[in-house]
Amino acid sequence: MKNCAQLAALAAVSLALIAAPVHAEPAPGFSAAGLYNLANAYARQGKPGMAVLNYERASLLSPNDPDIDANLSYVRAAVHLPAPSRSTFDRMVRIASPYALSWIGVIGLVIVGVSVLAAQLASRRRWFHRLGMLFGISMLSLPLANGIALWPILQEGVVITGATPVRVSPVPMGDPLFVLPEAETVKIAVEHEGFLLIQTGAGRTGWASRSNVAPVVPRK
Amino acid sequence: MSKNRTQGGWLIALVGVLLVSAAPAIADDPLVYATIQPAQITLGESARFTITNLGDGAAPITMPVVSGLQFEIVAHTHQIELINGTTLPSSSIVVRVTPQMAGIFSIPGVTPKSPPLVLQVNAPPGSAGAPRPSKSPAPIPPPILAGGSIPKGVHLTEDGSAYVRLGVPKREVYVGEIVPVEIEVGMRSGFVTQFNGPPKLTGDDFTLNNSLLREPERSERVIDGQAFVLLTWHSAFSVVKPGSFPLSAEVPLRVKIRTQPRQESALDDKFGDPFWQNIFGPSVRKDINVESPSQELKVLELPAEGRPADFHGAIGTFAIESDVSPVKADAGDPLTLTMRVVGSGNFDRVDSTMLDHVEQWKTYPPKSTFKANDPMGHKGEKVFEQPLIASKPGAQTLPALSFSYFDPNTRRYQTAHTSPLSVTISPSLADSTLAAPQLAASAVSAAANKLADGLKPDHAAAESFVSSLTPPYLQSRFLAIPSLLALAFAGGWAGVRRRSHPAERVFARNRTASKMNQRLLAQMEAAARDGNPAVFFIAARAALQQSLAARWQLAPDEVTAAEVQARLSGDDDIQQVFALADESKYSGRDLNSTDFARWMRAVRQRLAAEQAR
Repeated sequence: MKNCAQLAALAAVSLALIAAPVHAEPAPGFSAAGLYNLANAYARQGKPGMAVLNYERASLLSPNDPDIDANLSYVRAAVHLPAPSRSTFDRMVRIASPYALSWIGVIGLVIVGVSVLAAQLASRRRWFHRLGMLFGISMLSLPLANGIALWPILQEGVVITGATPVRVSPVPMGDPLFVLPEAETVKIAVEHEGFLLIQTGAGRTGWASRSNVAPVVPRK
Repeated sequence: MSKNRTQGGWLIALVGVLLVSAAPAIADDPLVYATIQPAQITLGESARFTITNLGDGAAPITMPVVSGLQFEIVAHTHQIELINGTTLPSSSIVVRVTPQMAGIFSIPGVTPKSPPLVLQVNAPPGSAGAPRPSKSPAPIPPPILAGGSIPKGVHLTEDGSAYVRLGVPKREVYVGEIVPVEIEVGMRSGFVTQFNGPPKLTGDDFTLNNSLLREPERSERVIDGQAFVLLTWHSAFSVVKPGSFPLSAEVPLRVKIRTQPRQESALDDKFGDPFWQNIFGPSVRKDINVESPSQELKVLELPAEGRPADFHGAIGTFAIESDVSPVKADAGDPLTLTMRVVGSGNFDRVDSTMLDHVEQWKTYPPKSTFKANDPMGHKGEKVFEQPLIASKPGAQTLPALSFSYFDPNTRRYQTAHTSPLSVTISPSLADSTLAAPQLAASAVSAAANKLADGLKPDHAAAESFVSSLTPPYLQSRFLAIPSLLALAFAGGWAGVRRRSHPAERVFARNRTASKMNQRLLAQMEAAARDGNPAVFFIAARAALQQSLAARWQLAPDEVTAAEVQARLSGDDDIQQVFALADESKYSGRDLNSTDFARWMRAVRQRLAAEQAR
């Protein structure tokens, strides 16, 4: 039991040391409400591209907000784009924000670790330890499944300008292939010299200027 | 009389020769042609524009449209013409052309292959300029037909039918720069019949924007006493690698080439009109490529020295200005900071993050729009709009914006700056409850925007902010937490396992052995029921091996009959079990039920004794 206490103390100190800078961010960056309100403002200004972009970003932070989903569908429908569809798996694993799920995963890891240690230290009540491990692994799998569901969205971008030309090569004078409508969501494959290799939902690919397509997750 | 007859005979012969020589030309040439008479008039007069169709077919005729000229059809005529002994039906449309202003007008051909005609309208004597219709907008000035010569360094084709001039900047260019280019094709009137393709740059090192080659500028010019039609394309190209490259333009044309020596066609030239020259001058058609003189273009890499940190690849000449709207707002209300970049260059690479982080302001990524001032998009204005939200009330100053670019003329990086902007932020009524932007009060009229209808209302601001939209479990800093925890638990597990009490290890081992013995005893009972001595004694020996191995600190396989005999010399039953296990397995000896019960009892006693130790 003494060992257990020492380990718990060590874990707590480590957690505190690492988590401290995470919360010590001097300037706040994003909030679901802020992004949602910004998207509404863009929608009112008649800028569906920026509106959809910020709704998508808000949805990342607050995946189950019905207002975000409603306004996102509404703006997309207003510019004659299909409403986004979510699979059952997607809905299941996005029960909470990635931030909450990340900490749930950490707690799950702690439960698994403690259960393993307890099973090692005390050979009685093995069923209780196994139950703890199972519970911890379940919690640990939540961020994993969330990551699988979110990964395609993290690679997406939104067209923020009207009639964005998509070119055959990443040079300013490259021949145009087709034109993307504003607010269209595309998949971003790579970035090169200020151009993004994008793929539309219909499978068409080409290079679009970075100033015309904004990634859902801002890239550094 | 004799002299007159002789002259008349020569005249008939001349007409006959002319008709014979004209026959192949008539057979080859388009059946539709147009003439204008007179070709030079004074403002207030009209000219007669006649479109003649030499045949019974219906050729597509387009009535020309020329700014400053009024066309009015006055008659349709039909007649039969006798050419080289063959009767040809023909029809004509007579059009009255009335100029509205003085100048020199180019009337395009009535069919795609017809040459253009030129009408010169002189201002009346004593008039200062041309009158302009009072209600109609000012017409586009017609092209000027002035005397001139072939541009310097440019040469006509051998037959004198055309030339190509390539205009590019007389300096080094840089990788990524958009280089405006002008391709001028001069075609002698009546000699070039058609284009076989658009102009193109020779060499693989340049990419000419073909989409800009559709609408050339058209004008006429008298060059060295000959009328030329000039077509000028404006386009641009970019180069992707440094080096020195030869550059020229090439245009595929179809031209008419006279088949008789030039001095013999002097009579044709007297007619002055290219159409008549072609009618009476026997000629053949030939496809040729007309190329401009080659120029050496030096392409340089952008210098690494002095490159500003915010340089995004813009090459050209630019200027910037900024403003913010509105200049007075409530805290939490959005403001739009606008930066305009005007000039010429590669606007696709004109980019700016504007304000990244400003104290007491919340900044959002800017959005840009581009408005081109020329078809190539080389000149224009790019407007960046960035939403800003002030978090605290008071008089505030937005810092100056900057934009860095490379000026190919000065060959240096330049950074343009704007002036700081002052705004006044009033306390918001909703300050106590709103920490997030209340953006509904945008300057743009919401009612005018159809997107505003049907939107769910804004949310009250939350106080929880995150520094990145990337999920924490994908951020390396956050991943350090579970990694360290996992390491700590793994270390703890290893330490606990190493320090665990020997008694517990023995207990665990005994428990394992006990479970195994239970399973083996059940196997023995089943074998006894089935009367299978081989399985029975093998299971019995295995149970004894497990039990004795735990006591003797050996592996179960190392507990052999010899080991048992050495260590358990007084226990004959156990020694016999090991011997019978081997014997029953290899000899197939039959044991009755009484034997099974006896041996089962002996094994159980030994196992119980071992467990009791």
